[in-house]
Amino acid sequence: MTHPIIRFDHATFGFPGIVALEDITLTIPESEFVGVIGPNGSGKTTLCRAVLGLMAPLRGTLRVLDCACEELRCHHRALIGYLPQKGMIDRNFPVTVLEAVMMGRYGALGLFRRPTQKDRDIARQALTQVGMDHHRDSALGALSGGQQQRVFIARALAQQPRILLLDEPTTGLDLTAQHSVVELIQQLHRELKLTILMITHDINMIRSRVDRLVLLKTKLFAAGPPQEVLKPDILSQVYGKELVITDKDFVIVEDYHHH
Amino acid sequence: MLELLAYDFMQRSLLAAALVGAVCSVIGVFVVLRGLAFAGAGTAHAAFAGVTLAYLVGLPPLSLAIVFGLATVWITGWVEEKGRMKLDVSIGILYTATMALAILFLGLMKTYNPEVYGYLFGSVLSVTTDELMIIGGLSVVVLGTILLLSKELYFIAFDQEMAAASGVPARQIFYLLLTLVALTVVISLKTVGAILVFAMILIPASTAYQLTHSLTQMTLYSMLIGVFCAVSGVLLSYAFDLPSGPSIVLLATSLFFLAVCCSPKRLHRIQRA
Repeated sequence: MTHPIIRFDHATFGFPGIVALEDITLTIPESEFVGVIGPNGSGKTTLCRAVLGLMAPLRGTLRVLDCACEELRCHHRALIGYLPQKGMIDRNFPVTVLEAVMMGRYGALGLFRRPTQKDRDIARQALTQVGMDHHRDSALGALSGGQQQRVFIARALAQQPRILLLDEPTTGLDLTAQHSVVELIQQLHRELKLTILMITHDINMIRSRVDRLVLLKTKLFAAGPPQEVLKPDILSQVYGKELVITDKDFVIVEDYHHH
Repeated sequence: MLELLAYDFMQRSLLAAALVGAVCSVIGVFVVLRGLAFAGAGTAHAAFAGVTLAYLVGLPPLSLAIVFGLATVWITGWVEEKGRMKLDVSIGILYTATMALAILFLGLMKTYNPEVYGYLFGSVLSVTTDELMIIGGLSVVVLGTILLLSKELYFIAFDQEMAAASGVPARQIFYLLLTLVALTVVISLKTVGAILVFAMILIPASTAYQLTHSLTQMTLYSMLIGVFCAVSGVLLSYAFDLPSGPSIVLLATSLFFLAVCCSPKRLHRIQRA
């Protein structure tokens, strides 16, 4: 097995009086593409924040990049590229595409140091990797939702990360843009051998692309290759009436809370 | 008009106005983008409460203005960070409480003191050399800090959690920003006054926001607008015998509405629609 880059060991996360994720034991080796699924409130975003070192476990341990998550320092975090949920970013912020991607370099640069030509080259390369270099001088707010997601993926890539954390990267995009973004993520995984954790509601979109699926409902319900996790009896226990299976190979999760 | 520049008081006033215009408009970019508009207004009134207490107990006015201003922004930041209360509610409470303190301290003064009211309404034409030195020193501190940490300040204004996740010490930078806001308010009290200082933070940055999609350009435009309005406002106030604070702010407000009408961003949106 490849060296584990993320390791949960009976880890519980939450806030005083609220348990968001309970007793999670999960090891993610380097270069694995993991999809994280589960209904709303199942702890997917908490898992993301924990890996980013923004939450300490109430019980158990979480080690990321060989470091306890509560001790993750700035230089560790700079190795984790993060794409937050779409609604969490002000899309009209006055920033050009290149300025937004350059922000990915700031953590690695450290305080008081100005970006150099090398940083600009890395940002340009990241933009090229997501096919957006020709838009580098455009206003971020002038781009379509799918193009903006590509820019934010480029921002994460500009960190030169070892782990890429994507929190619902296709939410709010039209179907074409969803396919395009997921294909880009798969291509980046293939070419850069990044460890990718992708939180999503869209099981259909990622089932054939990820190495492993993790199914959450406060606890770790199932983890394994998609064909082992996407079984009607397992899914119906987690999603209940929200789950509709149209035939043997096609699974739709109606996310009622989302609409 | 040129003979005005021969007067010492006018030289001091114009220099003070230019410094305040520059500092307010640059910090204003981060205040506007980070959504701290109301926090700045609360800080200005808290700083005025500090000034009134200082006059009451016989201390240098700016010393207690700094203490009150810093206490207000730090409590505001802590409340936002902990998510215990909506930011506008906590600031609203502090805003009114500190204003009540200021009125209380004014009431406790045995005699009418016009200098105190200078801090409320602004009196740039009466800035002394000592006050100018303090304004200059604090302006260098605020602008120097922004220059050194501009990339981190931009990032937390864009998305604080993403900045933290990317390895930027976002929490510390956020509190530093709040500290700079408080210092900026204190610097500006004598020039534009507690009531109008916040307009000088908000309006030039909001005007620049209408004109560009680039962070760097927004900061540059904001500073140019801030300095222009501050200096022109002082000259207008002298020429037409008007109060200086309102002259500066109303000039800035006029530019804001002009920028809204001519905003390339707005015109582009209309064209696209």
